[in-house]
Amino acid sequence: MDTFINGVRRLSQACGIVAALLLAAAVVVVCEMVVIRYFLRASTIWQTEFVTYSLIAATFIGSPYVALIRGHVNVELLPVYLGGGMRLALALFAAISALLLAIVLGWTGYELLVEAWVGRWRTETVWALPLWIPYLPLPVGMALMALQYVADIICLATGRAQPFGLSEEAGR
Amino acid sequence: MSALAIGGVVAIVTIAFLATGVPVAFGLALVSIGFLLYFEGTGSLSILAETFFGSLNDFTLVSIPMFILMGAAVASSPAGKDLYAALDRWLHRVPGGLIISNLGACAVFAALSGSSPATCAAIGKMGIPEMRQRGYPASLATGAIAAGGTLGILIPPSITMIVYGVATETSIGRLFIAGLMPGLMLTALFMAWSLYIAWRRGYSLRDMAASYTLRDKLEILPKVLPFLSIIAGILYVLYGGLATPSEAAGVGALFCIVLVAVIYRIRDLPTMARILRDSMRESVMILMIIAASALFSYMLSSLFVTQSVAEWIAGLDVNRWIVMAMINLFLLVAGFFLPPVAVILMTAPILLPIVEHAGFDAYWFAVVFTINMEIGLITPPVGLNLYVINGISPDVSLPTILRGALPFMLCMVLGIVLLCVFPGIATWLPDLLMGPGI
Repeated sequence: MDTFINGVRRLSQACGIVAALLLAAAVVVVCEMVVIRYFLRASTIWQTEFVTYSLIAATFIGSPYVALIRGHVNVELLPVYLGGGMRLALALFAAISALLLAIVLGWTGYELLVEAWVGRWRTETVWALPLWIPYLPLPVGMALMALQYVADIICLATGRAQPFGLSEEAGR
Repeated sequence: MSALAIGGVVAIVTIAFLATGVPVAFGLALVSIGFLLYFEGTGSLSILAETFFGSLNDFTLVSIPMFILMGAAVASSPAGKDLYAALDRWLHRVPGGLIISNLGACAVFAALSGSSPATCAAIGKMGIPEMRQRGYPASLATGAIAAGGTLGILIPPSITMIVYGVATETSIGRLFIAGLMPGLMLTALFMAWSLYIAWRRGYSLRDMAASYTLRDKLEILPKVLPFLSIIAGILYVLYGGLATPSEAAGVGALFCIVLVAVIYRIRDLPTMARILRDSMRESVMILMIIAASALFSYMLSSLFVTQSVAEWIAGLDVNRWIVMAMINLFLLVAGFFLPPVAVILMTAPILLPIVEHAGFDAYWFAVVFTINMEIGLITPPVGLNLYVINGISPDVSLPTILRGALPFMLCMVLGIVLLCVFPGIATWLPDLLMGPGI
């Protein structure tokens, strides 16, 4: 079981690195685009789409990592106030809800990906990028996030992790 | 069930669901999916992925991670400390100069970082001990920094304003300019209150000052002026319509990273990786909320909730100021519990048509909206700034910080009242620079 949990953790961390690199790439390309448009007075072809799609990819691929480090902001008022068994129940409920969303979103994202692949959809721009490329990060990111939440649920159920990462005394 | 009743049920279910501690983004998405499934059947699921993807497929949104990166780069350096030191050295002769320096540094740093907690931490770490050492009471010192930090979401460039712009399809450049004077007004109100309280309690403001030579004053300038020129440059480019917010933000981010590397010699790989990682985490969190909120808005409007709430309020036939007061109260309460970005995305698309129908300006409303969100940052239960301050000065109790922050909250309420009486505080500058609004 620990192998699974650690494996998922490593996968999520790898996602974090990919997302951070996508963000870095976006910054570089935005600056390159500014130089081309405003200093060289030329028009840009692929940059706008590349930057937008990189950040969409960073969002979906980065999601499992942000889930791992509890970076998806939540309202912890009730969990802090309740404590004990109720806190664990809420943490399980929250993690199962997140898992459910990851599955539903990942599945519909996969269907969209297949449609784009089969229909050979392309973006309506000069660049005409095949649409399955920007669609791909949604199902992939959500599948990995689902894994992360499965690991979280196991950790909660077996007492490996504290509910909401709160110490036992918090809020009492 | 009428659309209005559905709206009521949606509100209750959303609040209850978010209260369980589920991440805001996923909670909003699940509530939306649940209602769509119940009222429109499984066919409605087909739009799910497209809505999530489509809502983020907008070049304007690129400005959000870019500004976050810019803030993270600045926050990783001692720029906050230098900013504060520079103001203190220049203002030390002014009575109460230290507290003015702290609030001024908060305002400038807030503009650079666009983040309230980062501002509190950066200025507070040095400012709070210094103020206490020179005799200011703990409640005033901590309260002032907690309040000063909130300026980050109002003074441009502000991520909160970008999100408002995206949610309501208003001009981001104009929103930024609209936030400038109200931001300075709030800073001035905070300063006035601090000085008043220090004077009334009989603190000798002059005794609290230190003394500096001209050399001290000059040698710090090269460290702070480049950062100030970046903010000025971004505002100039945006109001002049020279470039899009995303381009300005991208170049601003690169400049800040370069400046931090040159001035503070922060160029080691681990620090750079940390800056990127922190920015990525924050961006992912915000962009996921944006995507989920798009689904939430889609659900509300496809169940006709948005339209019926607007019609209902328009049909109430009450004075428009009563409508505005009700909206303010609602925003204030929402801000107590939810992060500003979530409140804006969930409610701005519903509220703006109502507000505009009542004859208020969209940009003026953005400012009022944001000040309400600022108040939420320094009020329990989720007042982020209070906890940040508590973290950096652990010997000051949370109730003491809260007591110190309370008068500043009233300053913000006064700010809203002033904006209602003199809407020009928000609208004059954009009208002057960019021509009258539509």
